[in-house]
Amino acid sequence: MAQCFALMGWSLPVIESMQKINKPFVVVSFPDFENYAKENNIPFVPYQLNEWSDSSNSLDLAEKLKPFNVDVAVPLFEETVEWAGALNSLYRNDPRVLNRAFLFRNKAMMKRKALIGGLRVGLFEEVFNREGVKSFMTRLNEANLQLNGEEDSWVHIKPFASAGTVGHRLLRSMSDIDEKVEDDDFPCLAESHLSGQEFSCEAFVHGGKVRFLNITEYVRLGYSNFIPEGNYLNSKRDRILGEVQKLVDIFGIEYGMVHPEWFLTDKDEISFGETACRIPGGHILELAAKAYDFDALAAFVLCHDPSLTEDELQQILPPMDARPQTFYGNVMIYPHKNSISKLEIPEELKEEPYFLDHNLVPPMTTQKISDRAGFGNHFGTVNFKGEDPDRMRELLLHYENVDFYL
Amino acid sequence: MVENGIIQQNNSRLEEVLNELKEATKLTKAEKANKFMGQLDLLIDTQEGIDFVYHKIGEITEAGIFEGSVWNDTDKLVPALVNGTYKSGHPGSTIEVLSELRILAIVQKELKDENMGPEEASDFLEEVLVANLEFVFNEPLEETRLMMSEHELKKVHSLFNYISERIHLDGIKTKLVEELTLICEQRPVVTEKQRRIIALIKEKMDLDPESPVDAELLGFQNSIYCPTTGSKDKSLKEYKAYLSQLEEQELLREAGEASSTMLKYGLVSPYHGQLLLYLVKNGYDKAAYISLGVSAVGEAKWFQYQEYLTKLILETVRPYNCQCIYGLSNMLENGIISRSAVRSGLSNIRTITLHPKVENRISKSNIERDPEEKITALQYLVGALIRILGQPLGVGQGNNPTCQSARGISMWSQYAPGKLINLVMTAATHNDLTFRFEGQEITASLVGKGLVQKLDYNLDSVSVVLVGMLDKIYNEMMLRASGRLEDPHKWVNPALYGQWIQIGFASAYDYKYNAIVDFDGFVKIFYATSHPLYNGNHQVMYPNPVGIFVTTSTGKMLGFHAISLLRVDADPSGEMRAYFLNPNNEGRQDWGQGIKPSVFGNGELHGESSLPVNQFAARMYAFHYNVLEAENRVNDVPDEAVKEVRELAQESWGKSYNWIEINKKW
Repeated sequence: MAQCFALMGWSLPVIESMQKINKPFVVVSFPDFENYAKENNIPFVPYQLNEWSDSSNSLDLAEKLKPFNVDVAVPLFEETVEWAGALNSLYRNDPRVLNRAFLFRNKAMMKRKALIGGLRVGLFEEVFNREGVKSFMTRLNEANLQLNGEEDSWVHIKPFASAGTVGHRLLRSMSDIDEKVEDDDFPCLAESHLSGQEFSCEAFVHGGKVRFLNITEYVRLGYSNFIPEGNYLNSKRDRILGEVQKLVDIFGIEYGMVHPEWFLTDKDEISFGETACRIPGGHILELAAKAYDFDALAAFVLCHDPSLTEDELQQILPPMDARPQTFYGNVMIYPHKNSISKLEIPEELKEEPYFLDHNLVPPMTTQKISDRAGFGNHFGTVNFKGEDPDRMRELLLHYENVDFYL
Repeated sequence: MVENGIIQQNNSRLEEVLNELKEATKLTKAEKANKFMGQLDLLIDTQEGIDFVYHKIGEITEAGIFEGSVWNDTDKLVPALVNGTYKSGHPGSTIEVLSELRILAIVQKELKDENMGPEEASDFLEEVLVANLEFVFNEPLEETRLMMSEHELKKVHSLFNYISERIHLDGIKTKLVEELTLICEQRPVVTEKQRRIIALIKEKMDLDPESPVDAELLGFQNSIYCPTTGSKDKSLKEYKAYLSQLEEQELLREAGEASSTMLKYGLVSPYHGQLLLYLVKNGYDKAAYISLGVSAVGEAKWFQYQEYLTKLILETVRPYNCQCIYGLSNMLENGIISRSAVRSGLSNIRTITLHPKVENRISKSNIERDPEEKITALQYLVGALIRILGQPLGVGQGNNPTCQSARGISMWSQYAPGKLINLVMTAATHNDLTFRFEGQEITASLVGKGLVQKLDYNLDSVSVVLVGMLDKIYNEMMLRASGRLEDPHKWVNPALYGQWIQIGFASAYDYKYNAIVDFDGFVKIFYATSHPLYNGNHQVMYPNPVGIFVTTSTGKMLGFHAISLLRVDADPSGEMRAYFLNPNNEGRQDWGQGIKPSVFGNGELHGESSLPVNQFAARMYAFHYNVLEAENRVNDVPDEAVKEVRELAQESWGKSYNWIEINKKW
């Protein structure tokens, strides 16, 4: 068992889980949190994680963590992945652990690695300006044998190193490139549009093997998902597990959790979208914890520990073949109007047997909604719970379009 | 069955989220509580929902829903804050509902609380009910209606229904009597609040004349709905017909009864209006002046100006514009009617043509609507003017930041009633006013905004005509007098209110030092000029415009407020008190450190507030005084008297300022 986990980033639910399982830990985050940590007896090392300099670097941080006997670092957020990688390189005496962390932080490098290893990926390229995106779209159109008058092939652009949907733009035409793309977007990754059912996997890895696989069915990216996966995806579970294990092998991941996103086409092909190795967004681990009845956050942290025993692993993770009977889903609520003044929970929701809870709060005053970056900040989440995955999908699609904010 | 299904479904939902809340440590408690409250919010808009939550309230409290919030400690809850919290909507209103249910459970002995026993809990709920009658009776005020959604109203109404069915209303009856007494003793010009409460009691409560509390409530109720023997069980129309059958003797009885309830509560019944009109029209002189409730002095005035008054009454008094009868009674009694400027002013104003905008404002102001809508805006205005002239200390500012203007109207109605009538006339005709300030003219329509952004029309008709303009003029004067390194009020007060304001001006706050400088000297001047023990036993002659620090019930600085010091005098128990006009008409204030202005029972005249003089001095930051007179006496004020004021000041609002201890030349 690890002597002490360094939790890289501030997350109260994770801290709470660690306290509950009673494992030694120390939180590394910005000095802003220091007072709160002190008041609540949370072991804490303040660090300027957004700065890299002579006085702010992994060697220095490792020194500061020594008094705590830290031997495992756990990245909680996208921005702390390299920090955790660097620390773990030191702890495991393996420089490639850091390189692997870089893999997660550069989407182009990530795709290239996946391609070399034999995963199915879309066409992709690093682009540096609008012209680059246009050339990419032109070549894609050529490859798709576009005729005069036919629509352009869709292109996605994404920053190399941002979490989830932040900075993600879908470009459906040449004119979109002029209208939607901004100078600050570059350099970035351009890639062809992958079609099919999107889903994500949360694979808890230990000793290079996937020890538990959660599949999250995306109803609509950025809006809604549910756990466990519906019946169709479930019928592909073995193939999906195979692909995930392949990814783990190619990337050389030994400990922790990966959160890859995939597309399953009608022709039964599985394409790799991208992956991360921190706590996924969309409240996914919350849903997984409820559906599988385990402490997903604690499991996430513990899987990073190379010295975790088989017994401990089995205690903390659900069995590989678990198939819960109750589905948990959520839909994130975004206001649909440009200006909102009140919250109104529709009557139909109150009477909906699948409705579980919500955390929406009314706007303080009339509020203008700024343009969304990525999918923007949602105003809250509505949770559902029920036995039928198809009904769940229907509900999530429906409530995505209901106006909660007027 | 369906009902059961929903409750069951609610039950399982609630259990799941409640369990999450229970399991959360304090790190994630707030987030889980938020989710739980979202769920409760949906549940509690019916009686069944409230009942369901009530039966779980122990468990919910145990789970820590109140932890880390201001609702946590039951002994720190404030009944007066409840109403505002409900108006703020979810999540505040939801946790407020939970808080009330917890207290109800303490009352019913289903929950134990270390900080609150069943009796205190019951007192608390009663106070909450009294302060939220609009919800108890589901008669939300206009403002409330605007602020709250239908769902929120349903929630709160369900709760109050639930509570009022479960606690003894006898307790709230006592509180209602107290509340009505507090309001009525101040004799406010605007009587809507007490009329509303009385109307609700009439509609929703069965009163037993044998029970002493009920009898008191009946007294209030009768003052409006049945002020005389003859008005019992009669509509206004029936009463009118009934009067014509009466002999003079019976009319004298009606008149005597009507006037005595008017004098007791300061409220005038529409029946009284009907009666007075009948008496005046038919030449029953004696009954007429008796119905006005005047003493021998007033009686003499009545006969002196009988012709004039008859005309005024016939033109102005209507059953739904009857409150002015009380004002008129006071005008006879205090002799203001004897001033020729007042009489000619009241004649002149009845002939003016109202500016359409003014007419519109009057129709939005606090008037008693005539079901037949026969009363004109001008009649309402004249009625309000008579009320103000008769009850100068009853002028209120409503929910407006216009204590300055209210103070002015009150002062003029006492000391320059002719000027007041003239101001009203000008403003009502031209929708504009001009004042002079240091040799230059300030015209309301030509200057920028005042303090009021949006006027709350819950004011008397005179105030809605004047206040907007006075506020602009006051603000413009303040602008012109600013930057002089002294409080602009020094020059603005005499210019705005008139020449009886003393030229000398003392302010505890020093603009040059941005600090409280020589507070001891400040208090000494106040005592040497206003306190009978130190000023040669002189009385305050004219209202003194005083600036005070308003503080919270814990003594923290809250803001500034304008009041008028009216007199400093010994109260019935011999204690020296400052009696003042507070235009916010609030009888339940708590300024911390045990400083609670009272509105009756300590020698106050109707409309006065009062405090022991040292407590008053401890909240004051500016006043006017006669420079020449002060100098002789300042050194006679004993240090101990100053010290007690200073301590109160320093430990409350004083903490918000630097204090500099030098002796300055005042």
